[in-house]
Amino acid sequence: MALSKKTLIHMYETMNRIRLFEQKLQEFFAAGEIPGFVHLYLGEEAVATGACSTLTDADMITSTHRGHGHLLAKGGDLKLMMAEIFGRATGYCKGKGGSMHIADLDLGILGANGIVGGGGPLAVGAALAAKYRKSEDVAICFFGDGASNQGTTQESLNMASAWKLPLVFVNENNGYGISCPQCKSMAVVDIADRAAAYDMPGVVVDGNDVLAVHEAVEEAVKRARRGEGPSLIECKTYRWRGHFEGDACTYRCTEELEEWMAKDPIPRFEAKLIESKTLTKKEAEKIKKRIAKAVDEAVDFAKESPMPPASALMDDVYA
Amino acid sequence: MSIAAILANPASGKDIRRLVAHGSVFDNQEKVRMVRRLILGMERAGVTKILFMPDSYAIVPRALNSISPSIPVEAVEMPIRGNQTDTTVAAGLMETLGAKCLVVLGGDGTSRAACKGTLAVPLLPLSTGTNNVFPFMGEATVAGLAAGLVASGRLPREKCCYRSCMFDVLLNDEVVDMALVDAAVYDDVFFASKAVWHMEKVPQLFLTRCAADAIGLSSIGGQLQAIRPEEPRGLALKLGGGSPVMVTAPIAPGMFADVPISGITEMAPGEIFPVSTNPGLIALDGEREVEIPSGAHAGIRLNTEGPMVVDVRETMALAREECVFRQPS
Repeated sequence: MALSKKTLIHMYETMNRIRLFEQKLQEFFAAGEIPGFVHLYLGEEAVATGACSTLTDADMITSTHRGHGHLLAKGGDLKLMMAEIFGRATGYCKGKGGSMHIADLDLGILGANGIVGGGGPLAVGAALAAKYRKSEDVAICFFGDGASNQGTTQESLNMASAWKLPLVFVNENNGYGISCPQCKSMAVVDIADRAAAYDMPGVVVDGNDVLAVHEAVEEAVKRARRGEGPSLIECKTYRWRGHFEGDACTYRCTEELEEWMAKDPIPRFEAKLIESKTLTKKEAEKIKKRIAKAVDEAVDFAKESPMPPASALMDDVYA
Repeated sequence: MSIAAILANPASGKDIRRLVAHGSVFDNQEKVRMVRRLILGMERAGVTKILFMPDSYAIVPRALNSISPSIPVEAVEMPIRGNQTDTTVAAGLMETLGAKCLVVLGGDGTSRAACKGTLAVPLLPLSTGTNNVFPFMGEATVAGLAAGLVASGRLPREKCCYRSCMFDVLLNDEVVDMALVDAAVYDDVFFASKAVWHMEKVPQLFLTRCAADAIGLSSIGGQLQAIRPEEPRGLALKLGGGSPVMVTAPIAPGMFADVPISGITEMAPGEIFPVSTNPGLIALDGEREVEIPSGAHAGIRLNTEGPMVVDVRETMALAREECVFRQPS
C-alpha cells in the first residue's frame, strides 16, 4: 500500500473524530438535550474512513440513517453537524432536518437518509450525472445489511451495472437490520454473493480494518473512474450501540458485543501506526486531545446557537 | 469405521482478487451443490461415516436438504469463529475423531489452514475458485469417490497419495507458519486486504512447485522450471533489480505481470534462505500473513514432510486396475 504518512494520520484522525463525536452525542442524548432520534456509528468507524479516504471533494456519497460517520469522513463540518443534531438554526439544515438529513453538496455529501434503502437510487442518479457530464467523478452508496434486502437497492445494483455507472456500493454489514439478525432475514451470509447476479465484482473485507477497506474501495474507485462500472464491497462490522439510542438490545447477547469490541478498529490501527513508526504514542494522545477539544467547541457552538424561529417553519419547503 | 471428513470454507472465493483481477465470485450455494455430490461419492466408495466442519452458512446441512445418504453425517463440536482458524481447529478435531481422509473445499489458503491443523491425515483439496494451485480442479462426485476409497481403505493410501513439500516460515529461528505453494516477501508493513498483486513490492519469491500451466505467483517460476509438488527441491527467485531477464506470467485470473528475474537458486530440503527485507511482510500462498518486525530476521526452509495429498487421477486409475467399481459378469 503506497499511503503517505499524511494520509495515514488523516485516517487516524478521522476515525477518532467520528468516535468522539458519537460518544458526545450519546452523552447528550441520554441527558435529553438532543431532539428526535440518533443512530450511532460507534464501532464502524473504519468503514466510512477507509472508503471516503479514496475520494475527492467532487466525488459523491449517499448515506444512511446511521450517517454521522460518513459525513465526517467526507469532510463534514463538526460545528454545523452538531448544531443540526441539536436542532439549531446554525446547523446544516437550519435545525429542521436533524440527524438523518444532513447534506453538504459542496463536499459531495448528498445526504443522510431516513429511508432504509433510499440511498441507492440517489447514488445511481449521481453516478449517471457524472457519466453524462463525462467527468471522472464517482459515487459511493453506503448501505446496511437491512437495506440490501430492499428492492430499491437491488434495482440500483442492476441499473448501475446495466448502465456501467461509476458507482461503488459499500455495504456495512453489522449483522442486524434494526433488531432482526441477518440469518433471519437473508438466505445468504455474504451480501457480496449478490454481485454475481448483476455481473459486477463482489468482495468481502474486514470492516474493522481501515486499511483493508481503503485498499478494496480504492481499487473499486479506480475501476469506476476507468469506466469499467460498479463494484460491491461488503464490509463485515458491528455496531456497538443499539439500532437507535434508547434501544435495549434484547435481541443480542453481551458476549457477542464484547467479542466485537475486542476488535475495536481504532486501537488496531493505532497499534499498526505506532509499530510502523508512523506515529508515536505521544502524538496519538495529542491528536485525541485536539479532536476532543474540537468536539467540545462544536457542542458549545450548538448550545449557544438559537433554535429556528416559528416564522421559518415553511421556509425551504420544496413540496 | 471408515470415516471421511469435509471442510468447506464459506469465506473462500470472495477476496479482493475479484476486483483487482477477474476472478470468479464463487457463491456458497455452489459449494452446497459440490458437497452434495461429494457426499454421494464418498458413500458410494464405502465410507461409513462423514464428519464435517460447522460453518455460518451451514453448507453441509443445506447439502443434506435434498439428499438422503444412508450413512451418518455429523458436525464436529466446535465454536464457529468465522475465520480461517475454524478450518485449522476442525482439521485437528477430525484427526482425533478418526477421520482417514479430509476433503477441503476452498483455495490454497484454506488448504494451508487445514494443514496447520493436521499433517497426519491424507488431504483431498478441492478447488472452489480460479486462482488456485494446490487444490484439485475437478468434479466433486469423482473427488468424493477418490476420498472415499482412501478413507475406507479399499485402496492403499500410499498408492493413492503423494507427499507434498511445504515451506517452514522462520522468524528469529522459530517456525511461525507454513506455506504449501509459495512464500512471497512483500515490502510493506500493512496486511490490508492481504492479496498480492503489486509485483514491484515482491523482492523475493520462494516456490515449492512450478508448472508452466499454473496460475498465481507460482506461474512465474513455471516459466523457468518444472518442479513437481513431491520433488525434494524448491525454487528461490530474486525479483526486480533492473534485471534484463523478464518473465510474463498470469499472476491472477486475467491479470499478467512482466517480472524481472535477477536470481534463480534451487532450494534443497532443510536449507534456510534468509529474507532480506526488514521490516516487511511474508505472503503465504498468496496472502500477506506474517509480519517481520523491525530488527527481526526471517527465513524460508523447504520441508519434504508436508501433507499427504490424494491424487484423484491416480486413485481412480488404481480403482480401475483393481476392478473396484466393476461388477462381476
